[in-house]
Amino acid sequence: MLIFAVAGISTAGIFGPPQTVSREAGGLNTAIGYWHQQGNLTSVSEYTFRRNEIYSQVSYGGHNIWEVYGRIGVSDLKISDAFRSVNSATVTSGSDFTENWKLFGTLGAKGFLPVNEIFGLGAFLQVNYYFNNFTGDVTGTDAGVPFAADLKIQNMWDVNFGIGMQFTLPHKIKLYTGPYIYYAEAKANLSANIPGLEFGTGGVLLKNKAFAGGFIGADIPLAKGFHLNIEGRYSERLSLGAAVSYTY
Amino acid sequence: MKSFVCLAVLFIFLVAGCAHSPARTDSETQSGSASSTSKAKTTTETSADLSGTPASPGNKSANTDEYDDEMEEEGEATTIADPLEPFNRAMYHFNDKLYFWMLKPVAKGYGEVVPEKARISIKSFFSNLGFPIRFLSCLLQADFTGAATEAGRFSVNTLWGIGGLMDPAAGKELDLQKQDTDFGLTLASYGVGHGFYIVWPVLGPSSPRDSVDIAGVYFLDPASYITPWYYDAVTKSMKIVNNTSLSIGEYEALQKAAIDPYVAMRDAYIQYRLNKVKGKSGKTEKVKLQQPGKKEEKGK
Repeated sequence: MLIFAVAGISTAGIFGPPQTVSREAGGLNTAIGYWHQQGNLTSVSEYTFRRNEIYSQVSYGGHNIWEVYGRIGVSDLKISDAFRSVNSATVTSGSDFTENWKLFGTLGAKGFLPVNEIFGLGAFLQVNYYFNNFTGDVTGTDAGVPFAADLKIQNMWDVNFGIGMQFTLPHKIKLYTGPYIYYAEAKANLSANIPGLEFGTGGVLLKNKAFAGGFIGADIPLAKGFHLNIEGRYSERLSLGAAVSYTY
Repeated sequence: MKSFVCLAVLFIFLVAGCAHSPARTDSETQSGSASSTSKAKTTTETSADLSGTPASPGNKSANTDEYDDEMEEEGEATTIADPLEPFNRAMYHFNDKLYFWMLKPVAKGYGEVVPEKARISIKSFFSNLGFPIRFLSCLLQADFTGAATEAGRFSVNTLWGIGGLMDPAAGKELDLQKQDTDFGLTLASYGVGHGFYIVWPVLGPSSPRDSVDIAGVYFLDPASYITPWYYDAVTKSMKIVNNTSLSIGEYEALQKAAIDPYVAMRDAYIQYRLNKVKGKSGKTEKVKLQQPGKKEEKGK
C-alpha cells in the first residue's frame, strides 16, 4: 500500500477557547459552526485539497474550567488535479475530485486553569471521524479505450491535541492562541488501475505530512447569551472558521 | 381524492355550523357539571356572526368587537349547541374507553421508562415542528409580531436547540414565547362562530370551525409527509403518547368533579376555546393601542 503525506487533511471544526462558555454552576451550550480548511497532498506530485464543513455542537461544562462536547456535521471535499494524468495517452474528463456533504462526528474535551483574572492556560483533545466515504468518479480514454473509475476516500479520522493561552479583555472578550499536534489518516482506493493516474486499486494510505500547527481565535460575547467564536489555524496552509454558540 | 372528500365534508360542517343557532336543549337543563353548567346561559348569536361568509380583515375588528360585546353581555360561562348529542356521547364514551384502556396504560409505561426531562424535550421537538401552523395562523390574523416571534423561535430552537429538543427561545434572555394560535382562532378572528359541538373519534371535542385546524394540522405537519404511511402513524402516535404521559391525571380530575362528565367536557372545551379567542382579541387590541399615531380602538 502506498502512503501519501497530507498536510492538515482532517481536523473538523474550530477548537474554541480553552475556557468553557457554559455557566459556572454547570450547564449546556450549543453552537452552529462553519469551517473552511485547506491543505497539501504530496506524493510524486503535489495536490491541494479544500474542505467546507458545517456542524452543530452540544457541549456541557462547568466551574468555568472544563467542558466536553460532541458535534455532528456535514463536509465536502475537493482535491485539485487528483485525476490529472501524467501520461499523455490517458485523457480524463475532469481533473478534480469533488464530493459533497458527507456526515462526520466529533468528540472533544477541554480543561482550563485560570492563572489570574486575565490570563489562563488550557488543554484540549479532539477526535473527528467521517462516517461516510468520499467518492468521486472519473471517466476518460486510455490510448483511445474508454474507461470509468471511482476514487473512494474512506475511514477518514484524526485526533488533535493542543495547549492554549487565553487572555480575557474588557467586555469579556477572550483571545486565545497556542500550538497543537495532530494525526490524521484516510485510505484512498481507485476502482481500476488507469495508466497515468497516481491512485490505483492497491490502495493508498493518506497520512498527515506536517504533524503540528498553530491556532488563534477570539470569543466575543454577543447579546442574550450568544457568543461569536472566530478562529484561524495554520499548518502549511491557512484554515478559518467561525461558530455562534448559545449558553443555556 | 381522499383528502378532497375530507376537506369537502369539513367545509360542509363549517358552513352548516356557522348557520346554526345554538339553543339550550332538554338534556342541558337536566344534566350539568358541578362547575359550569349551572351558570351557563343560552348563547344567541346574531345572524351577522353566523353568516357563512368570513369577515374581511378590514372588518375584523368590528366583528371581533361585536363578538366581544356579546361575550361581555353574557358575562359568565357560555354553552355550545349540541344537535349531535347522541353521536357525541357515543364518541365521548369511545374516546373515554380508548384513553383508559389503551392510551393511559401505554403512556404510563412509557413514562416509567423515559425520564421526564427527555419527554419534555420530545414534546418540545414536536412543538417546534408545529411552527408552520402557528406561523401561518399569525400571518392570516395579520399578527406580524406573532409571526416574527414564531420565525425567531423556530430559527433559534432549530439551530441552537438541537433541532427543537431544547427551547432556548423561551428563556429569560430571549423571551420569545410560543404563539398560542391555530386555524380555528384565525377563523374566529374573522368573525366565524364556533358552530355546534362535535366529538370526533380519537381526535376528541371540536366544532366545525375548529375542525378546520385539524385539516390544517394534517397538511402542514411535516410528519404527515413521511413515507411509508406507517412511519407517519408511528410518529404521530409517539407524539400523542408522549404528551399524554406528561398530563396523566388531568382528565381524571375533570371526570371526578363532574356529575355528567360529558357535559363537563363540553363546557370545559367551549370555555377553553372562548378564553383563547378573548385572549387573542385582547392581545390584538393591546398591540393596536400601543401603536403611535393611530386612533385608539374601541376596546374593553
